[in-house]
Amino acid sequence: MKKLLMVMLTLVAVFLAACGGNDENTIQFWTPLTGDDGAYMDQLVEDYNATEPEIEVKHIITSDMYTKMYTVLNSGNGIPDLSIIHADRVPSFVKQDLLEPVTEIMEAQPELNADNYIEEAWSAGEVDGTQYTIPLDIHGSAMYYNQDLLEKYDVEHWLDDNVVTFDEMLSLQGQLEEGDYVLNDALLSWVLLAQIQNLGGDIQENGEPAVNTDAMRESIEAVKELNDAGLMTPYGEDGYLMFQSGNVLFSTDGTWSSTGHAQVEDLNFGVTNIYAFEPDTFHNRSSAHLFAMLSNEERSEEKEQGIADFLEFVRENSIEWAEAGQIVASQDVIESPEYENYMQSFFTSTQEQEDSLYIYTYEHYPYVQEAMDNYVADLVHGEMDINTGLEEMQKFVEDKVAEGSLDMENTELLDEDELEEELSEE
Amino acid sequence: MKEHGKFAPLFFVGPHIILFIVFILIPSIYGIYASFTNWNLVGSPEWVGLDNYKTILANSDSTFYSQFFNGMKNTLIFVGLSVPLMIVIPLMIAVALEHKEVKFTSLFQTLIYIPGLVSISAAALIWSLIFNKQLGVVNNMFGSEQVWTATQPYAWITIIIITVWAGIGGNMIIYRAGINGVSKDLYESAEIDGAGPIRKFWNVTLPSIKFPLIYTMVMTTAGAFNVFAQPLMMTDGGPRQSTTVLMMYIRDLAFSHGESIAGVASAMAVMLGLVLLVISAIQYYIMNKNATT
Repeated sequence: MKKLLMVMLTLVAVFLAACGGNDENTIQFWTPLTGDDGAYMDQLVEDYNATEPEIEVKHIITSDMYTKMYTVLNSGNGIPDLSIIHADRVPSFVKQDLLEPVTEIMEAQPELNADNYIEEAWSAGEVDGTQYTIPLDIHGSAMYYNQDLLEKYDVEHWLDDNVVTFDEMLSLQGQLEEGDYVLNDALLSWVLLAQIQNLGGDIQENGEPAVNTDAMRESIEAVKELNDAGLMTPYGEDGYLMFQSGNVLFSTDGTWSSTGHAQVEDLNFGVTNIYAFEPDTFHNRSSAHLFAMLSNEERSEEKEQGIADFLEFVRENSIEWAEAGQIVASQDVIESPEYENYMQSFFTSTQEQEDSLYIYTYEHYPYVQEAMDNYVADLVHGEMDINTGLEEMQKFVEDKVAEGSLDMENTELLDEDELEEELSEE
Repeated sequence: MKEHGKFAPLFFVGPHIILFIVFILIPSIYGIYASFTNWNLVGSPEWVGLDNYKTILANSDSTFYSQFFNGMKNTLIFVGLSVPLMIVIPLMIAVALEHKEVKFTSLFQTLIYIPGLVSISAAALIWSLIFNKQLGVVNNMFGSEQVWTATQPYAWITIIIITVWAGIGGNMIIYRAGINGVSKDLYESAEIDGAGPIRKFWNVTLPSIKFPLIYTMVMTTAGAFNVFAQPLMMTDGGPRQSTTVLMMYIRDLAFSHGESIAGVASAMAVMLGLVLLVISAIQYYIMNKNATT
């Protein structure tokens, strides 16, 4: 009986130690990659560990990762050694001093440098001249077309210059069979963010959020025109599903959807750029998965070396990641002949294509996108007046910025106050 | 033996008290504290006094003010629509199952109870396909052309249907247990006095199950105020934020993509808690009054 108790106690102790996570011999690697993406990353990590590195990597998929990051950063316990964050998080993370620069990682593995990655993905991790992340991929807007429907309506030539324009789509007004549509409204805010770039606009002015702008209005009005012409899938309907069921010419969703579309029987589809005003100015709003190290003084040099080795392995071998439908950031991978088998290689096929990938790096971009996600569907489908909507969106972002950044200002003030107090004591 | 007796109660109550303190009491107190601060979940909270409350309750220019009142209004609509249905329908089913000629009662009971065991997200996915305009059973069967989740009042109807579908089983079980506990003598004497089925329901059944009735009312109301998953999954708060309930705003403020605005979110949560507290207190007061008479 006593023996059994001892065994159980030992087991519990081992279990607790395993949960501790501060193991010197493994790199705790957090990612928000749920679903299939997580499985592909698992495979990459497994392949790396099979090379018998000194320090193995342990991949931990964490849904709600950012919330958990805040928790561990607050407590100082269980901070992961390495993690994957999205490009739009970098500016605010750096501002809050939550990220460590990757300088030493780059020194440990000299191939981890700007020349070996897609420029837009690399620079998304750069703030004020310091590099904070190493990119894994770019992922973002993509427009899928239904080849059979293009033939049916005799508009295959739209794809000749790789850019479908507003005017081209409007030319089909009144010529569609009932139940057919030219485009859907999937990921609408991303489409609009691309149009803003096409018009030379931006979402900020001197660091202040600028949502209620001419470029935004013009973008929304242009897409609304498509809707009013009866070309867009109706309000509230699942346009993504309608594309898959073969009723929609173009679906404006994400690079990763290619795997989902491929599973649909008899769906003859391909990928191209998000539609634009002119064939020579086009953008695809993108984001990126970036390797980053949360601030943690306890990260040893050996671990940093281990992280560098792992990232170098990923740089050389992330063709696996192309399976997930993402645009791999490593030049070695995208230049390899195998990569051409993947649909998303379209986006890196020429320099012009690569330049079309656009990542917003404005500090308050997440608030802007949140506002757009809340409003643009209503505006484009005419459920809400555009002027009112733009004003409310602008207000939404401004209020959030004011509330979110007050904290920082106050903390700074507090520091100064404390300093004064200390001085006066002396 | 005496020594044992002294500490024995602690061992029974202890685990619950520890769990209560760690997972309920401390977070609640910290949440209330956070509502008086500006906090982004990372830095240290900055005391701002009643500023957050002033913003959401009095500053009609603020986005957070309109979010709070829109969220509260939608939450109250949901409570007002769902709670009566979640009481009346299970009660009617429970009474119906008591009828002598109803067979397979435990089968029916199981069938009605099972939806409550299905995860609400999985259920919402199934129901959104049922209501889907092209593929859905509803539109094909009734020949309607409605986009259910994008027009009112249909958006609310879908949310209420899934809530009732998933929620009636639990209350029904409680009512059945209550009705089973009513002495058969009462029904017999009522029959001798010439009471019909309706009379028996109002004058025998209802007064006898008063306590379970009020208990379910309190619990169902509390649950309804915390509604989140159904509107998030079915309508995503639309159309035009008319089904965005307060919990959705609170979550977006605290845990969305941008920097967290946990202070305002906590203030909203405290206000929601206060409303819930007042309503529950009234319900408990009624319950106690009825229990003693």
